[in-house]
Amino acid sequence: MDVELIEIQEFLAKHPPFEQLPTEALEQLPRQFTVRYLKRGSAFPPADDQAAHLYILRRGAIELRDAEGELVGKLAEGDLFSDVCLSGVDGSDTGGGGSAGSGGSGSESNTGNSSESKDSSDPSNNNAGKRTGKPKPKPKLSGETVEDSLLYSMTCAHFEQLGSAHPEFAEYFDGSTTTRLRKALDAFTEPTAATGGLMTVSARDLLRRTPIKASPDISIREAARIMSDERVSALLLMKDERLSGIITDRDLRNRCVATGLSTEQPVREIMTATLSTIDADALGFEALLQMTRLNVHHLPVVDGKRLLGMLSTSDFMRFQSTSGVYLVGDIHKAESVAALEAISDKVPELQVQLISSGATGGHVGQAVSAITDAITKRLLELAEAELGPPPVPYAWLVGGSQARREQSSHSDQDNALLIADNMSKDDDHYFRQLAERVNDGLNACGYIYCPGEVMAKTANWRQPLATWQQYFEHWIKRPDPKALMLASVFFDLRALHDPTGLFDGLHELVLELSRDNRIFIAYMAANAIKHRPPLGFFRNFVLIHGGDHNQTFDIKHRGTVPIIDLARVYALSSGLAPINTIERLEAASETAALSHDGGANLIDAFELINTLRIRHQASQLRNGEKADNFLAPEQLSPLERGHLKDAFLLIDRMQETLGQRYQAGRFG
Amino acid sequence: MRSPSEGRRRHCLRQLDAGPLREYFGRPFPSPALDYRCVDYVALDLETTGLDHRQDQILSVGWVVIRGQRIDLASARHRLLRCEGDIPAETAVIHQITDDEAAAGLRQGRVLRELLGVLAGRVLIAHHAKIELSFLDAACRELYGGGLLVRCVDTEVLARRTFERRNIPFRPSELRLHALCERYNLPRYRAHNAFYDALAAAELFLAQVAYRDNGNGFRLGDLL
Repeated sequence: MDVELIEIQEFLAKHPPFEQLPTEALEQLPRQFTVRYLKRGSAFPPADDQAAHLYILRRGAIELRDAEGELVGKLAEGDLFSDVCLSGVDGSDTGGGGSAGSGGSGSESNTGNSSESKDSSDPSNNNAGKRTGKPKPKPKLSGETVEDSLLYSMTCAHFEQLGSAHPEFAEYFDGSTTTRLRKALDAFTEPTAATGGLMTVSARDLLRRTPIKASPDISIREAARIMSDERVSALLLMKDERLSGIITDRDLRNRCVATGLSTEQPVREIMTATLSTIDADALGFEALLQMTRLNVHHLPVVDGKRLLGMLSTSDFMRFQSTSGVYLVGDIHKAESVAALEAISDKVPELQVQLISSGATGGHVGQAVSAITDAITKRLLELAEAELGPPPVPYAWLVGGSQARREQSSHSDQDNALLIADNMSKDDDHYFRQLAERVNDGLNACGYIYCPGEVMAKTANWRQPLATWQQYFEHWIKRPDPKALMLASVFFDLRALHDPTGLFDGLHELVLELSRDNRIFIAYMAANAIKHRPPLGFFRNFVLIHGGDHNQTFDIKHRGTVPIIDLARVYALSSGLAPINTIERLEAASETAALSHDGGANLIDAFELINTLRIRHQASQLRNGEKADNFLAPEQLSPLERGHLKDAFLLIDRMQETLGQRYQAGRFG
Repeated sequence: MRSPSEGRRRHCLRQLDAGPLREYFGRPFPSPALDYRCVDYVALDLETTGLDHRQDQILSVGWVVIRGQRIDLASARHRLLRCEGDIPAETAVIHQITDDEAAAGLRQGRVLRELLGVLAGRVLIAHHAKIELSFLDAACRELYGGGLLVRCVDTEVLARRTFERRNIPFRPSELRLHALCERYNLPRYRAHNAFYDALAAAELFLAQVAYRDNGNGFRLGDLL
């Protein structure tokens, strides 16, 4: 055979099951293929294929749907579609037989197939299991190219010959295509508890047993007996199905035995009544964080008002200790800026560790922001210890990614001071010193000074409540380019330290003013569609040419930022309080601002893009490089590229819609 | 580059002595009125020592046949030609064909005979076809005493027309084979030889007609 088909041979040899063929067979292989091009949106398998074929995708992407039109899989580069051949050959189940749409050859369809393999009785095969319990015709798979696609195809006759000549090749086709595909998809989109630690497991999933409950009216002795019988270190006390308190070993020791209290007293005398609980959907990581912060060893888990169970520190033992939590613990104990600096140096390491344990971008954002929060709080405590208590109440506000809890590694600091209106002129001296200490401390810890000076030590951003109210009124009622520039900081604002609740009123005012203010929202919308996703004419990635970042695209500014901006507009236009992008999208999809599907899709897109971004950064950090946002398409697997293009396309569509709704072009 | 008529073909047939070129002219050209999907094509690329067919030589020829909108990889061929004299260093760098290899290549007559057999009754596809046509024409004149007439689709011309029709501004570099392949999400081959360029042109052609066809087909004449 001529040497010229070597590149096609190499391509085939890289993909299962062809890789199993001996070299001589591989050399003969390319000549048995024909090449077809299907533009995006074409039916697959192509209706005009006269004979039944096996297909291998060389370029592009294809979505496969079952008879109900539900997406069951996606073919990416190197993926094989053999269902048509297999259903017509020996009846081995493929999870999706039938000659889906091969127009000229309806006889290939083999629906009455009776020689079932084990596969279709497998309950996990939910395509088959969904409908009736009886033997049923196989669901037909049909598809559509979702990208311009180049296919290699081989007639089923050739394919059979190959199978009979090479049994190990035939063996590959015993399993189900659909199942394989779906697994691949799941493995990518949902790193589950099996792969990750506390970053991916929810509080609900950490619970091991039904909670041990008792009435608060029973005696201390009775409570101790139950705990001893049930071998638990804490007992939940319930009154009328409502949690009224908790009692632990330590309480029995400290509040009863040590004080000589009678064990006949009702247990409510020594229980802890003001309880902090955690939502069942919170991450294990957050639960542990909360326990560390409150210095408690038990945490009740609730689903709405319903008590599901209780987490104790021992529940975490099963998981590898996640250093993030211990970092936060260390931060609380740090006595100097230098000590905080040393801890902060470990954040990139934490990021790498989280990613390798299967954390998504969202998880990492939460974890890294939690650490920044802890460092900031500790700096405030240290400053107050040095300067004395504040003359009037104040709130330390954080903006931007920290406020949204979406930070990755060390970003710039964005913060501000909100001071009670009764401050005197002289009081600013105190607050300036406080701000300088914290801003300098953060800078030393790697959260560099905000290039735009949006920091508490800047006089403009260290003001009493009344001034802040005027600021926002001005920005919202008379929007101008400056307001837009500051939008990502000041319309994503969160009070980190606010003992008297100064910020609540201001936040409400902002939402009140912005909601239904069409002009302001139109400005924001115009701003939100400035960063477009990097997709070209034919759905190819538009890359940066030349310079330091040749042949890459900026996944942050053209991927995550557009979604963050969209979410902000949805939230402000409906007066929604959440700051975190995913929470904003969730809340907005309950309103007219965003459809349910649109919301769910944007959340998926955001998680995907963010996860790819954060993985890219982790691999840079692992190689000792500085993390950046410039991603080259080749770094991604074909499947990831496919998903990413889908995500970009979605952003583009949502931007279009938003732009039209507010005629944003007029303000752009 | 006007598409040759059937009358011209019959005229050539009468003029020629027996031989590969006469046999080639013995098969009718595909009619421009045919649906393009019913026509067979040969995508072809030449590597030459230069651009001038009067003084430069063909180093290699690659081709592959398209039938029913499918590239048939079984028809893939790559032929190195025996070359007179030295290969200029700068072209050797591009094609990676050395003097030794060229000396071991096939005689031009043998390759041309094989190619004419494949081309008969089919439409030629080439990217920037002028070069291919001029070299093949010169070779036929030299060997068989008559020029080559062939119906030809130039993928570069198709691309230019697409840009112009859609009013998309373009730079000349965007008309290059590999730039266009990228636009249509086609694979990029590492090897830079006559065969892979022919294959790339074949793939580009499939993509171009897929985008032009609204499902009802169109006349071959629209592509010529």
